[in-house]
Amino acid sequence: MTIFRSFTRALGLCTVLVAGAAVTAPAQAGPEDKSITIGMGEDFPTLDGYVNTSRDGVVITMHLYDGLIYRNPKTFAYEPLIATSWERIDDLTWEFKLREGVTFHDGSPLTAEDVVFTLNYWADPAHGARSQGSVSWIDRAEAVDDLTVRLISKTPFPAALEFVAGSLPIYPSDYFQSVGPEVFGQKPIGAGPYKLASNEGGTIRLVAHEGYYEGGAKRTPSITTVNWRIIPDTATRIAEVISGGVDWIWNVPSDQVEQLEVVPTLDVALASTMRISMVALDAAGRTGDTPLKDVRVRQAINHAIDRKTIVENLVGGDGELLNAPCHPSQFGCDQSAAVVYDYDPEKAKALLAEAGFADGITVKLGSYRDRARAEAVQSYLAAVGVRAELEMLQASPSFSSWREGKVGMWYGDWGSFSMADSSASIGSMFDGSSNDGARDEKVISLVKEASSELDEDARKAKYAEAIRIITEQAYWVPMHTIVMGYAYTNTLAFEPTLDELPRFFDASWK
Amino acid sequence: MLTYLMRRATMAAVVMVIVSVICFVLSNVASDPAVGIAGAQATDADLAVVRQTYGLDRPLPVRYAEYIGNLLQGDFGTSYLAKRPVLEMILERLPVTALLAFLSMALALAIALPLGCAAALWPNTLVDRLSQVLAVTGQAIPNFWAGLLLIVVFGVQLRWLPISGSDTLAHFVLPAITLGTFAMPPLMRLIRAGMIEVLASDYIRTARAMGIRPFALTFKYALKNAVLPVISLAAVQLGFMLGGSIVVESIFALNGVGYLAWQSMSRSDMPVIQAIVLLISMIYIVLTLAADLLNGIMDPRLRGARK
Repeated sequence: MTIFRSFTRALGLCTVLVAGAAVTAPAQAGPEDKSITIGMGEDFPTLDGYVNTSRDGVVITMHLYDGLIYRNPKTFAYEPLIATSWERIDDLTWEFKLREGVTFHDGSPLTAEDVVFTLNYWADPAHGARSQGSVSWIDRAEAVDDLTVRLISKTPFPAALEFVAGSLPIYPSDYFQSVGPEVFGQKPIGAGPYKLASNEGGTIRLVAHEGYYEGGAKRTPSITTVNWRIIPDTATRIAEVISGGVDWIWNVPSDQVEQLEVVPTLDVALASTMRISMVALDAAGRTGDTPLKDVRVRQAINHAIDRKTIVENLVGGDGELLNAPCHPSQFGCDQSAAVVYDYDPEKAKALLAEAGFADGITVKLGSYRDRARAEAVQSYLAAVGVRAELEMLQASPSFSSWREGKVGMWYGDWGSFSMADSSASIGSMFDGSSNDGARDEKVISLVKEASSELDEDARKAKYAEAIRIITEQAYWVPMHTIVMGYAYTNTLAFEPTLDELPRFFDASWK
Repeated sequence: MLTYLMRRATMAAVVMVIVSVICFVLSNVASDPAVGIAGAQATDADLAVVRQTYGLDRPLPVRYAEYIGNLLQGDFGTSYLAKRPVLEMILERLPVTALLAFLSMALALAIALPLGCAAALWPNTLVDRLSQVLAVTGQAIPNFWAGLLLIVVFGVQLRWLPISGSDTLAHFVLPAITLGTFAMPPLMRLIRAGMIEVLASDYIRTARAMGIRPFALTFKYALKNAVLPVISLAAVQLGFMLGGSIVVESIFALNGVGYLAWQSMSRSDMPVIQAIVLLISMIYIVLTLAADLLNGIMDPRLRGARK
């Protein structure tokens, strides 16, 4: 894989050099017919938003379906979508008033019955929603009348609206029941701004839904056709955007973004995301009798890594240094509550010696995504005597190796399901589950309480306390935010968002 | 001939069983299929539900037995993710891969046959040297690298050919060149070696002495014998191509079986991976068998040896 990557990089450079000299033809579609062709890396086995949880899948879901409410990606405020208003009735219940005149892509009206059916269907674990966390809190949905729905949670659940706004698309109950979930996944009908026109041979075509309602948070698209092309190879995707075969790509590696800047027809961005990166440490000793169980060793590791230099040189773009185990934009993520470890290799050596490891230690370091960053961490650690055996894997097996306690250190990242709430970061990574390499009883109970505490100040205080313990105990080395690389034709008005969900209904041709 | 066929068929069945066991065990041990299904960021609750829904909480031998049972009834299983019959998914994409393999093989042979013959006819000359260099280069350049180079030159700079997708025949040109150049070198070397050997043999000397013209001598008398081992090799190469298509299809975004395999591996969609591996091994076995039979038809001596 290393060879492959360096080849790809070298090739990226060649491509750019060549492109500088080449005459650039217009994209195969574009402003003339109000269409856009985008290059995505992942294919979708299904277009069912409750089953397809890959990032690219979530993006297409957003275009096909509408949920009850919408979270503005800039202000993080909730805005009306299918629901025009909502209020908390009691600790467990939210009531939503539905908009009149909302229709699905087949023209049938959207009523309370559709909402109730969809949410109750997927809240049932037997139906296999792949992201159980987003529906398991729901006890039931009830219709009050044709345009009023109540959503009742099992326990008081402060993050309820985050989930309603994020990942609960509404399906037409009659159609879904008549064709079944498998067919629905291939021929979906939603109430979103785009409907599915065709899905074949690696190209998915979306066209604007003519009956889309006005006044919701998603606007009626000005780009009326989105050709969704699946191009798995990054280098090919880059070549396509340079040659004008596609208008828009993402997941461009940061060094290649810099190279693409010279292409006169392209705009590029290395934009902030809500994804955070960390080196998680096996404080609980899941890998056996490891030196990482000693807090001094963990603190030494925190002092040993020059995070600032890594952020400046290897993350680039909008990448930011992190001190707390959550994203600063998330509710409850009080960075000031964190104990900060400055870069101090001498202190690291002293701490290691104090812990009885003057000769250094050997630990397995799992990672994926970015070898350069992982190797930087490896060499900083080596400088103080921590011999990290680097194991680079694909995302899924790498994360598995951390969860199964096969690696003592894991330089990974966490996207919080794009939810602006610490329950999705601290609450998912320090909850005693397999993600949690600390297993600190005090922290576990703090995040559990915070996840059902409705009083905002009390919630904040609990997360602040959790952050203090986590950083004091050095369970993680909080690293940085992850940036997303984009490249798109410069005649396109497009703005990357923090939640890594490109919205083509918001984009337009200049 | 019949006993021979029977023996080959039994062997094929045994190979298939072994392949299925290795594939089943490895794919389940290498990474947790539940994580593949639920996504890397799934919670423990997600995983528990997934394991139960897909029956992954049962012991491996039980799952294997069930798998084989279904297989014997012609049921290749249902994709974890697409929830569609695996066989249907593969058959849908097979034409793309078959076309790619056919074009690549045709290209490889179109280069290897004349070059190999020329090299044998004029050994140690410039023609021979050049074709050797070509063969070494073709083999030394990795698939993905050649593919990306072609993309840069013919797609980005010259803009003669489409870079990715499988809509028209033009979309297959670059992938076929990539895969064909990879299959060509061993074929060419084999043709060259075979031709040199045959050209030195007694019956060619006799034919030459009888005044048969060099053209007829080379292509009518010599090539027919020199090409025998090429058939076996071409069959194996065709099998290799199915493997090579995993890389090539990903680079050129061809929606074929190779890409499906890659995609399923990265998502731990076990039923699809298992079916594809079985299918490839089956194709291998059939191709080698076909090559043996073809050789038997072309060379009566082989038939005798195997009675």
